[in-house]
Amino acid sequence: MPKRITWRQFLFVLPLLLLVSVFSLYPIFTSGVYSFFDYQTNDQTRNALYTEGHLNAPLFHEDGTYLNFYLKKDLSLVDETGQQTIAALQQDILEAISPYAEAKQPLALSGEGAKQVTAFVANIRQRVKDLENAYPDVELNISKSADSLLDEMDSTVVGSNFIGLEGYKRLGQDGRFFSALRNTLVFTIISVFFELLIGMGLALVMNRAVRGIGLVRTVSLIPWAIPTAVSALIWTYLYDGTSGIVARLFTQLGLIASPELLLTSASGTMAAAIIADVWKTTPYMALLLLAGLQVIDHGLYESASVDGAGPVRTFIRITLPLLKPSLLVALLFRTLDAFRVYDLIAVLTKGTPETLSIYAYKVMVGQGNYGYGAVIVLAMFVCVGLIALLYVKVLGAELINE
Amino acid sequence: MTTLVKTNRLKPQGSRFNPLSWLVIALFLLIMVFPFLWILITSFKPGSEIYGRDTAFRILAINPTLSNYETVLQKGILSSVKNSMIVSSITTAYVVLVASMSAYILARFTFKGKRLLMGLILGISMFPQMIIVGPVFNLYYNLKALNSYWVTLAYSTITLPSAVWIMVAHFKRIPLSIEEAARIDGCNLWQMLWKVIFPIAAPGVFTTAIMTFIAAWNEYLLTLTLNSDKAYHTVPVAINALRTQFTILWGEITAATVIVIIPTLIIVLLFQKQIVSGITSGAVKE
Repeated sequence: MPKRITWRQFLFVLPLLLLVSVFSLYPIFTSGVYSFFDYQTNDQTRNALYTEGHLNAPLFHEDGTYLNFYLKKDLSLVDETGQQTIAALQQDILEAISPYAEAKQPLALSGEGAKQVTAFVANIRQRVKDLENAYPDVELNISKSADSLLDEMDSTVVGSNFIGLEGYKRLGQDGRFFSALRNTLVFTIISVFFELLIGMGLALVMNRAVRGIGLVRTVSLIPWAIPTAVSALIWTYLYDGTSGIVARLFTQLGLIASPELLLTSASGTMAAAIIADVWKTTPYMALLLLAGLQVIDHGLYESASVDGAGPVRTFIRITLPLLKPSLLVALLFRTLDAFRVYDLIAVLTKGTPETLSIYAYKVMVGQGNYGYGAVIVLAMFVCVGLIALLYVKVLGAELINE
Repeated sequence: MTTLVKTNRLKPQGSRFNPLSWLVIALFLLIMVFPFLWILITSFKPGSEIYGRDTAFRILAINPTLSNYETVLQKGILSSVKNSMIVSSITTAYVVLVASMSAYILARFTFKGKRLLMGLILGISMFPQMIIVGPVFNLYYNLKALNSYWVTLAYSTITLPSAVWIMVAHFKRIPLSIEEAARIDGCNLWQMLWKVIFPIAAPGVFTTAIMTFIAAWNEYLLTLTLNSDKAYHTVPVAINALRTQFTILWGEITAATVIVIIPTLIIVLLFQKQIVSGITSGAVKE
């Protein structure tokens, strides 16, 4: 086989590289960048990534123009000393805003420049106040709008929202994050455990079944194939406090005190999510394990039986070691799938128990806080990496084999 | 070498069999099927029976009705089925094309960075999809691609890695000698893929297409985020939009569920062999 690919062969891989770059690598990189910023889409002063300060120049110019417009109206209302004060004010404002007359968008502003703007606004505010105090009996036009206009001018100075590692520090002290992590781990470990246990049992039974295997396989595939969001909705109905048959069954069996607890209490929602997940994915696990069982050489079982080994011993000594590769791969994929669970819980209970994906989505899309949201998803990313590492290095799952 | 388990291998191995196994299987089938049956039953019940204390758990409706179906059809549930068809078909078409082209190179040639690329593809199939939501939303916002079928391109993150994976496994099973013969006959790379490899790997290509279609059909997060406009809602998003803030109309929801499950049911019944092969591909070694 040739060791290098020609440009023609490279063209065949190019579409894959492009899609992977745009829809996987770029978002991961961008999330990394977001995580260093206090980036909130619903806050005007931080709805983009500002590495340096900005002046909202068009707004600054507009506010100044309005100030002068009201001051001009006031000229006729005051005496000569007052007129001189107003003229001086107008002159200063005009000087400050005229450089931005043509500005169409925010301009970069140094820290020094930002201080100057703030000082200028404070100065004008004081002088307007002095003017009002000098003429307590006159109803000045400027008094009505000066405060709001000057406040707005203050807000035109937008500082940098680069916060470096602050977001990560916040994560370290974020109790909600750790409780989401705990929920995610509880959900993942319990669901995968039961999926493995029941899936293995089913696979062993199916491996021996004489008839009916086709039917079992077909039926197994249906829960796996329907959208998670749809199956979660089905379970919402089955769990419903008044009309849900599963909730009623569990109450009658004494598993829960009253039917509505399944979708309202903390342990109830966790159990509900786990059961729905086990229902949907156990067949998938069983099919994977069955496939693994069926490549085991039949002769081995016969020799074991000749040697007088019982079923348990045969399972531990022969089946399990030979099944290990497919078992680990199946476990790895199921663990990671369960760890990033979103659709199921988002639909089933609209977000309880709050797992990491649910928390991240609420922060990002619900609150528009893309900066901190990126910190949470990157933490998830690290967890996923650790889980994969655990399986591959510690348990020896082989994923890439030539 | 990674290979597929042929479906004809799914045949019994032992002859010993006991009633306990039958019981386990029967119980399993009951648990798997019951939620669907109950949904079907409820969909024919009028609201008064669904919420009635004595009638909620009756197996057969006292006054069966089709009104739930009429209502959800009027609410346009079929337009979400249409959207899902469009989105899943587009995704399947381009993913199969892109995956087969790259899988051919990955299966047939050794080159620098190949392991890295394979590892990257595997990594993408594992990472939390939540990570792409923020940046991709901003990207689509800036390109004015929100609320459109462009969402299908973003679906590549969830469909492309496994598609490449399944294809590579299938292409590797095709003997090299066939291509050598074709090369002597003067086939170029493109002809090699389309005229030689593709027809032989057709079952694998078909498996990939089915798996991609199902994955795209089931996608929820990206459509929810990128296509907030109801006109572009796919089945998973649209059916959840039937839940209102205060009341849940189970009659309508169960009827809608029955309707949207039908396409999946047809796919499973027609293509179960390909699906089993897709699920187990790469996970089993010989």
